[in-house]
Amino acid sequence: MLEETENRKLNFALELFRIMQKDNLGYIYRGRFNQEITDSILSLTETNLDKEEESPKIKKRVYSIMVECLQNITRHQDDTKEESNDSFGVFVIQKEGEKYYITSGNLIDKENIPNITDLIEKINSLDKDELKDYYKEVLSTGELSSKGGAGLGLIDMARKSGNKLAYRFKDVSEKFAYFYLHTIPSLSVEGEDFADDESLTNIVHIHEILNNENILLIFNGVFNQGSLLSLLNTIEGQMAGPANTRRKMFYIVVEMLQNIVKHGYSNKNSIGNPGLFLISEKDDNYFLTTGNYIEKQNVATLKKKLEKVNSLSGKDLENYYNERLVDFDSDNNKKSGLGVIDLKMKSENELRFELTELDDKMSFFVLQAKVKIT
Amino acid sequence: MNSFILEPAEDTPEINFNPETNVFYISKRSLPENAIDYYGPVLEWIQGFLDEKPKQLTIEFKLEYFNTASAKQLAKLLLVLEKYKESTKILVNWFYKPEDKDMLASGTRFSKLIPIDFNFIEY
Repeated sequence: MLEETENRKLNFALELFRIMQKDNLGYIYRGRFNQEITDSILSLTETNLDKEEESPKIKKRVYSIMVECLQNITRHQDDTKEESNDSFGVFVIQKEGEKYYITSGNLIDKENIPNITDLIEKINSLDKDELKDYYKEVLSTGELSSKGGAGLGLIDMARKSGNKLAYRFKDVSEKFAYFYLHTIPSLSVEGEDFADDESLTNIVHIHEILNNENILLIFNGVFNQGSLLSLLNTIEGQMAGPANTRRKMFYIVVEMLQNIVKHGYSNKNSIGNPGLFLISEKDDNYFLTTGNYIEKQNVATLKKKLEKVNSLSGKDLENYYNERLVDFDSDNNKKSGLGVIDLKMKSENELRFELTELDDKMSFFVLQAKVKIT
Repeated sequence: MNSFILEPAEDTPEINFNPETNVFYISKRSLPENAIDYYGPVLEWIQGFLDEKPKQLTIEFKLEYFNTASAKQLAKLLLVLEKYKESTKILVNWFYKPEDKDMLASGTRFSKLIPIDFNFIEY
């Protein structure tokens, strides 16, 4: 079992990257949800919405739908009482052009499938005014208020998004299923976009990979100093664990992400380099994984460097670090040469990596550092 | 000579040098996008200050975190100080939280590599 974990291929990272790039998936969180995590996801999105300079109306829409979605997961996660990783909820934000897509997935008792289906079908059949009336009706009769008004939440989401709700169920066990809900906050006053079924299919597929790899958080996007800092805030807010482990992770995350900022490759004239960052957990270890493009001409040097660092440990590694620390000859703005050595020292484990040739110009580079939770 | 002050940001430290007390203080976090550009003016200023051959200089490091690119610039800074240790009495106060073994280890490393006086202080 341990053997399998150790030798596990890193190619899931490229697979995820491809799917996420295709659908512009920006941010995924998977795990237990609580108020703290909800708050930090909201604040990450708020910063990003501010940066994107969206209109206040859109911001408000996106924000309030996210709140509903997150509350929905939090409210229902205890219903299922299955203490396995399968019981984790998942939350996804994607942005495509001007549009935002918000998806939540959580485990529900299969008994509830007919009720939820009926409710969403009813909601989707109503126009704006009818929906308003229905909302009032449910509010006054208290119907559907099985648990803190989940029914109301769905109606409210449909009203705020101005669009139909897309949904899907997926069997997990005899008793439980995942319930996925996919919403697009409409950009105009009247809803006109229909939630996209194909993109929901992709999210369901991604969720499978997340469950298999026990991935807790993924960020896919453009890496620059700004996104690095937002991401650090989120990780600090979301990652549990002893202070010592968290500190080591912080060191590792900064070096890994700055690696993408400095050495990653972008074929567009963009404001940063595209890449993937994810955190997974297995057998009392956190695994931090990055994936990014690099130019093919740099592959050999990178490989040599990683192999050298992996071949050293203890005193030898320390000496190599010291040597590089005061070597200013090779100094330039692009590299300190210390990053990879530091990664190995902080991780106290071999660094794993995978290089995949994509075309005659680019390769995809996956790097993984392991941190023991102590 | 005027004080040299850099306000802290999310990714850069607070730097404050007071030429009246001759205490140079650097704290918080350091993970700038470009460490060489960030520390360039700091090194230049301190070199200018030491050229005046002051009697003594205390430099206090009270950092919560710094990345490897910053580590290199801090090494450079300490090497500048070493160059002037004949004309100025140099003292480094390295602060660390008792639970932060990495910060203590970084300070110890600098003190072994660069022959100037170090104090290690828990806070």
